[in-house]
Amino acid sequence: MARIQLQNVRKAFGKVQALDGISIDVKDKEFFVLFGPAGAGKTTILNCIAGIAMPEEGVVKFDDDVMNLTDPAHRNVAMVFENYALYPQMTVYDNMASALRSKLYKTDENEIRERILWAAKTMKMENLLERLPSQLSNGQKQRVAMGRALVRTPNVFLMDEPLAHLDAKLRNAMRTELKEMQANLGSTCIYVTHDFMEAMALGDRIAIINEGKIVQIGTGDEIYYMPCNEFTAQLMGDPQINIFRAEVFGPDDSYSIKINVRGESVTMALPKDDGVYAKIREQGLSHADIGIRPQNVKYSFEPKEGYFKTTVYSYESIGNKSVIVAECGDYQLRMIAPNGLNVAIDSEVYIRFELDHIILFDPDTKNYIVRSDEANFIALATAGEEK
Amino acid sequence: MKNGKQKALNVLMNILLIIYAIFALFPLVWMILISFKSDTEVFTTTFVFNPTLANYQEVLLRSDYGRYILDSVVVSGGAVLVSIIVGVPAAYALARYNFPRKEDLAFQILSYKFAPEILVVLPLFMIYQKIGLYDSYVGLIWVYQLISLPLLIWVVRGYFEDISVEIEYAAQVDGYSWYQIFFKMLVPLIKPGLVSSALLAFIFAWNSFTFPLILSSNKVYPVTVAIMKYLGTDSAHYGQLAVASTVSALPAMIFALCIQKHLVRGLSFGAVKG
Amino acid sequence: MTTEKKSSVKSELNKVPFATRVRPYCIVAPSLIITIGIMVPFAMAIWYSLTNYSFKLPSHKFIGISNWVSMLGDESFWGAVKISLLYGVISTVLEMVIGLGVAVLLNNLNNGLSKVLRVLLVFPLMVAPVTATIVWQLMLNSSVGIVEKLLNIFGVYNFPWAAAPETALMTVILIDVWINTAFIILLVLAGLQSLPKSPFESAKIDGGSAWFNFTNLTLPMLKPSLYIALLFRFMAALQEYAVIFALTKGGPGDSLMSLSLTAYQKGFKFQKFGAAIPFILVLWLIINIAAKRIVNLQRSAQKQAAGLEE
Repeated sequence: MARIQLQNVRKAFGKVQALDGISIDVKDKEFFVLFGPAGAGKTTILNCIAGIAMPEEGVVKFDDDVMNLTDPAHRNVAMVFENYALYPQMTVYDNMASALRSKLYKTDENEIRERILWAAKTMKMENLLERLPSQLSNGQKQRVAMGRALVRTPNVFLMDEPLAHLDAKLRNAMRTELKEMQANLGSTCIYVTHDFMEAMALGDRIAIINEGKIVQIGTGDEIYYMPCNEFTAQLMGDPQINIFRAEVFGPDDSYSIKINVRGESVTMALPKDDGVYAKIREQGLSHADIGIRPQNVKYSFEPKEGYFKTTVYSYESIGNKSVIVAECGDYQLRMIAPNGLNVAIDSEVYIRFELDHIILFDPDTKNYIVRSDEANFIALATAGEEK
Repeated sequence: MKNGKQKALNVLMNILLIIYAIFALFPLVWMILISFKSDTEVFTTTFVFNPTLANYQEVLLRSDYGRYILDSVVVSGGAVLVSIIVGVPAAYALARYNFPRKEDLAFQILSYKFAPEILVVLPLFMIYQKIGLYDSYVGLIWVYQLISLPLLIWVVRGYFEDISVEIEYAAQVDGYSWYQIFFKMLVPLIKPGLVSSALLAFIFAWNSFTFPLILSSNKVYPVTVAIMKYLGTDSAHYGQLAVASTVSALPAMIFALCIQKHLVRGLSFGAVKG
Repeated sequence: MTTEKKSSVKSELNKVPFATRVRPYCIVAPSLIITIGIMVPFAMAIWYSLTNYSFKLPSHKFIGISNWVSMLGDESFWGAVKISLLYGVISTVLEMVIGLGVAVLLNNLNNGLSKVLRVLLVFPLMVAPVTATIVWQLMLNSSVGIVEKLLNIFGVYNFPWAAAPETALMTVILIDVWINTAFIILLVLAGLQSLPKSPFESAKIDGGSAWFNFTNLTLPMLKPSLYIALLFRFMAALQEYAVIFALTKGGPGDSLMSLSLTAYQKGFKFQKFGAAIPFILVLWLIINIAAKRIVNLQRSAQKQAAGLEE
């Protein structure tokens, strides 16, 4: 196992700058998640680590060894490809044995057998070993691809959306399994996903990637509660965070915000929070983008004190709960509601924000300014980093 | 009602197929019949005649037919072999690597298949005489590349394009060198295309007439040109000609029967890709 | 948070290793050498077309474009162009239509007959065109040929076939169709069998007629294969030499003197190399233009078909 470092790695494909100065430092035995939208460059990062892609600038290091000039075969990495990349002409068993039968990683056949059976059991696919890849479903192929990596003892596991094609139940089971396995094997793992839940559940640390750049690196909690900008905030969380423009005003000891709801101004008092108040004062804020998670938006179908009125845009179940989307003119508000409510589209709904759970962003740069109860969350984040 | 219509359609389709089959296969049957006829009976009888093996004896035992066949085997087989050795890597490069003017190069190679044989043959005739390739195995094998190489490259290229590049990456990560990957992983995957295009190239090379007619004379005498001998100037021995061509068609037919399962599958040219 | 490392600009570490860099070139080199070797005669051919090269003369000299000029003034040239085009177009169209039809029949009828015929119908391809032509010549013999006997039943006597200028072209085309339809069947059948299943399954649910499925699904997805078949066949038919040579050597009269035959005759029979080559270069030009066009059509049809598959 090894510590994996990328230092200022750049890589372009034609005119597209796939990686634009990526630096990461993955600790030995760490489970490191690369998280970001499609086309952000996540897979290219894995390819650079595996040696499949050659960085045009920058250095790739395993422990203290510069690996740039080492070919993929000699890097001893195990990789799970997004499109599985199983060898079509080989059975599942032979696919999994492939690396251990190569000259470089030659292993005794009995030992190979043992490891394959173990991996097959872990991936719940003992019955598939004699099949050809063409006889497998996508979910099964994905498990084989995982299995092919797991039989090895590499410097690092590189996993490119390895659970994306599994059904929900299996995915949850695998997620738990994977985390446990990684802890037991004590292996370094770099894991690409675009599933927020997966990133949160698995990652010791998460790196947010967008357009070939690293947006933020931190523990799940750190990124969730203190996203460095609006992009990260929107990426982390499902349903997505609400962000809207507000005017900030008031005397120094009791600020209020004013927002626009369908053409009408709604004013709300900002609860007293030392951190937030200090930042507003310091920066002399007159406007801010306010971020508030859907679970912190409260609703009522009757008029209520402290609630403002708007209308229902949609009401959809997302499984064990539902999302109400309310129309507010320039923007919409998402909020969590139980299933089975009788909500008519365009009917009236009354809304209140829990303003002691907000994140303030700079309306121009879209960067993080401050959040409610910040000191607490900083403590939480550092605790997370130490674990 | 619908079932009846379906049945009628089915019968019609079978009939159409049989009609075409008669058209396609009867001349072959006829050729085999002639091979058993004496020269006099070729023009006087249709189906009823005294079958004779004289033509077979004459051709197979008393003429140089064996040598002609051998020449054809050496030249066509050699040509296909060279095409495979040279063409498979080229097909790989055309499928995998991106380099400027790639499509033009691919078209250029393909266009050799379409170059009028006479155009190449006239200057080659003079060149070959000068550099001593006239009437030699090497000379014919070289010029036969025009027939076999483009076909092979195009079919095999389609196969390489269908293999996802991640499979190669996976094998690299698994600890294999580029050469091991090429021979152990990729070659098995392109085999269907390789085998059937090699067969087709072999057939075309075997049947080539213009090249050996002009570029060889006595030392190398492929069967297609040799067959014309039986039409000699004094008298035409159609029976012997029929024997010669029946026997000369056998290798390809047997080859085709052996690989019939792959033959059709292998020639899909990777025509439809995701 | 990330620790910002000092930026290391392009260095030796970012150079793709030499072995990897030269590999593509090494891989293509052998085939390039061979094809360039074949290109030399092309270049020489163009040069010779500007000379009075002949076996009879001890040396040759540059005579400018006079070979070209005399060719364009030569009546036989225009006749040859016409015959090459007629032969190429008619035989290719017939082969494509019949080949497509037979391939579809073979593909749709999944019975014993079609399984046997899938192999047997390829056999005409394996008989050398020259001998195939001679066998046909025997069958078509206007006094004792088997086809003559068959026509007698319908009251047709002494059909001239290759012996008369009016029917000679038809006859060579018939033989060409016999030999080469097998090639089309092979390629189209391969195309049909590689079609993805899913669009047809969803069409089944939609309940379209068989004809509708054929014109809206099969044909568009088959187009790439059809273009490939067309390409190989048409280019070969335009320059067909063996069949005509074996059947009539270009006759009767000049009725089958295509560009290939004219050039052969001028070059070898009359020993005028320089004068023969422009005929072939014109043929080559026609072929190249047509081929480029068909290749482009094929590539775009391939993209469309890939879209349909989704």
